[in-house]
Amino acid sequence: MTSQENEDVLPRRKSDEDADLDITPMIDITFLLLAFFVMVSKMDPQLPVSLPQALNGDVIPEKNCVVLVVLKGEGDDGYTIYKGRTKDNSDAVVGDDPVEMESQIAEYVEDTLSRNPKIQAVLIKAEGDVKTGAVETVKRGVAGSDLGLTRRLYVAVETTQ
Amino acid sequence: MTDQDDNDKPDSAPSESDEFGLVAPTGNFTEGSQANRSDIERSTTNVSKPVATTSGDFKQMSWRGFEEEDEDPDPAIRFDKDEDKEHDDLDMTPMVDVVFLLLIFFMVTASFTLQKSIEQPPSKIEDPSTNVIEDPEDEDDYVEVIIDQTNTYYITSRDAEEIEAPSDREMRDRMRDAKRTTGAPRLIIKAHVDSMHRKVVTVWDAGNAAGFEQIEMKTMEEDY
Repeated sequence: MTSQENEDVLPRRKSDEDADLDITPMIDITFLLLAFFVMVSKMDPQLPVSLPQALNGDVIPEKNCVVLVVLKGEGDDGYTIYKGRTKDNSDAVVGDDPVEMESQIAEYVEDTLSRNPKIQAVLIKAEGDVKTGAVETVKRGVAGSDLGLTRRLYVAVETTQ
Repeated sequence: MTDQDDNDKPDSAPSESDEFGLVAPTGNFTEGSQANRSDIERSTTNVSKPVATTSGDFKQMSWRGFEEEDEDPDPAIRFDKDEDKEHDDLDMTPMVDVVFLLLIFFMVTASFTLQKSIEQPPSKIEDPSTNVIEDPEDEDDYVEVIIDQTNTYYITSRDAEEIEAPSDREMRDRMRDAKRTTGAPRLIIKAHVDSMHRKVVTVWDAGNAAGFEQIEMKTMEEDY
């Protein structure tokens, strides 16, 4: 019995050391997680777009696309087209004339595709509340680019199930 | 001190089980609290009397547990003994938790970079004012959905009258019916420029769901 008692005492010391060691990998991973979060949040500031709802949608990687964002602006007809995913005012398509906007979009698509020929698709992320005419302007702009015409055209949706 | 405790327990434990009229392997317990031996004992008695013996063992074990906590003069040792048994299992848990968290996080961020979308044919550049609506009677069978400036749907198919569908659900149902009755492979969407983009997407989605092989889209500027 006394020998058994001694055996009981020895592992206790061990377990005390274990308790200290235990926490280290957790802290490591937590810091890793933190660093990852920080990196991701800085790298990818996305526009909040309330996409139209659909039951089905193809899944495409956004990085492999030329992205054009159409956001609803002020008023009933107002909308803003952004070249790229970020809400940078220098990326906004300026002007009121649809033809002028189309040529800007065509230029952007042509330019992006000639620099990155691997990009396979053009993605239009238009809010559900914008008018069909605004989306059509973007589509015509894409069609105005020769390289844009050779790529697939997608309209982003949000799937509901 | 602790020796005495160990000796006291087995005595009280079998008497407890005797009250319930259960068969207890008493020899095992008076010899000491060696878990291995009691396991062997249990497995052999299980063959003859499975139900009674297992419940009896359970009673004894729980009783012993209470005694240890209540009457142990040096609880620190006993607590550590218990912790030590569980320690090997506990050790891994937070790491596994965090790894799963990481996994979920990666999955969520991966789905951010993926975008659900509907493929559309590239638009043909035409001057909108000269866009005359052709009568495509000579072409394949088709179902046509018109979205007017007030976002109302109108569905036309070969033999059917034009049907007004005010709601999304009704439009879906009508379109499915039209597809089933005509078997038309084409869907033509005619959307007014002032209609909402959302409505166009809804019709397109419904067309995909109904099984149209080819979906075309036209925009119109005249009020319908």
